[in-house]
Amino acid sequence: MPTVNYVSFDGQSTQLELAEGMTIMQGAVMNGVEGIEGECSGSCACATCHCYVDDAWLAKLPEMSENEDEMLDDTASERKPNSRLSCQIKATAELDGIVIHMPEEQE
Amino acid sequence: MFRFNPYSPEIDADPFPAYATLRAEYPCFWSEDAEMWVLSRHKDIVMALNDWETFSSAKGNLVNELPGRAGSTLGTTDPPRHDRLRALIQKAVTKRALAHLMAPAQSVAQKHLEALKGRDQFDFVAEFSSKYTVDLIVYLFDLPPADLEIVRDKAVMMVQTDPVTRQKGPEHLAAYEWMREYAANLVQERKKNPGEDLLSQFILSEIDGDKLKDEEILLTVTTLIMAGIESLSGFMTMLIKNITDHPEVREALVANPDLIPDAIEESLRFNTSAQRFRRCVMKETTLHGQTMKPGDFVILAYGSGNRDEEVFPNADVYDLSRKPKGHLGFGGGVHACLGTAIARLACKVAVEELLKAFPNLSKVDQELRWMPSTNFRSPLELQVKA
Ligand code: HEM
Ligand code: FES
Repeated sequence: MPTVNYVSFDGQSTQLELAEGMTIMQGAVMNGVEGIEGECSGSCACATCHCYVDDAWLAKLPEMSENEDEMLDDTASERKPNSRLSCQIKATAELDGIVIHMPEEQE
Repeated sequence: MFRFNPYSPEIDADPFPAYATLRAEYPCFWSEDAEMWVLSRHKDIVMALNDWETFSSAKGNLVNELPGRAGSTLGTTDPPRHDRLRALIQKAVTKRALAHLMAPAQSVAQKHLEALKGRDQFDFVAEFSSKYTVDLIVYLFDLPPADLEIVRDKAVMMVQTDPVTRQKGPEHLAAYEWMREYAANLVQERKKNPGEDLLSQFILSEIDGDKLKDEEILLTVTTLIMAGIESLSGFMTMLIKNITDHPEVREALVANPDLIPDAIEESLRFNTSAQRFRRCVMKETTLHGQTMKPGDFVILAYGSGNRDEEVFPNADVYDLSRKPKGHLGFGGGVHACLGTAIARLACKVAVEELLKAFPNLSKVDQELRWMPSTNFRSPLELQVKA
């Protein structure tokens, strides 16, 4: 099972093993990791699952859809080049060890 | 022998004991009564929702699908078409875009509560949630004036199923036909005189330079009216049932209305009105030792996943302080509810105004009559004391 490292805004890190196919957003909300909300239940419609993906993994991510790109203009914390919506990223063997930084706020 | 019969009045009234058995003993269960598989554990439902290529909505998402709907609405198409259709409406219904709905929602709520002033007891369904949701959806979609009570009755009727024949009965199909007609007139009228409203924008949209198909427009508009009215009033009724069943929750909300959103989230988890939706298996899939074949239908029991102890400790307790995330009250993945921000705003305003008007609102001992439906669960009437 791929491992995901969630790093909170104040630097605390939580490591989780997620079943393959589970999204990074689901991993956080189902395991009580604070900092990701997921208000729209993963339909790419709320931007409250915003995260910054550690640069080392950026190139391995699936390409972002037009919808995700547009939603990312609506985040509560600043959009950066490594911003993604965590409901659009599934845990896979390729992404084993991925590091996800949480933004300061989601709403 | 354990059975799971989503047509039975016992399941309409209380599906939770059967769900517990399903989760514990038959996590991938073939229901002979429904002639469908049933997934009941949170994790399995989430995995199915994440994998629309294997669990498709294009053959319909209602357990008893309405004729012609499969393949022609947001809820019943798969990506990429689904995503293009959804993107046309999505921007108008985000939390930010809906700020304009707050003041109208407040005045609609106040109007209907004013009419209840001085009453000791009333039916929350007929006298508040139905009227409030219809007025709100009429405002939001700028629907033509009709007999609004009829619009609501048809929306509620079309989602029901006959428990004896295990099909849509003539009255349900007639309600669906009525709603299609209503939507068809609306679409014709908007094509001639487009407005600024959400439906006009959708009706006039193009994808890659092509106009939407007539059937797609018609049935998506029909679905939006049905979901907007029925899902919203059904859920709001469950929310008030929870608040009146738990006087300590009501007291906490009266003392601190900022907790109302927490009561809404916990209700979406605890006993959401949208109990079950279906998918169609596209690739042979083996789960918990059972093999599901292409063409088989699968019920995703959201209401059961929401009681899964693996994710929600003490899941059978309504806990205002739980603040549940990751619940399945709005489904999940690409097909998760389009109306989440509308629903949350409408419910928040309704409870705020209701508890201002009736801070001592309480339950009445009653035998609830539940809607006969394989998808949805809410009482047909809910008497409350002022
Ligand atoms: C609290 C009230 C509501 C609840 C509990 C609810 C629940 C749901 C659920 C569980 C689904 C997923 C269906 C599936 O998995 O196949 C869904 C989809 C949908 N809902 Fe809602 N709903 C509510 C209110 C609304 C409102 C107010 C609207 C619109 C005005 C709406 C429009 C839709 C649409 C269009 C879909 C299909 C989305 C898609 O497939 O992309 N809902 N709803
Ligand atoms: S959960 Fe809403 S955009 Fe990701």
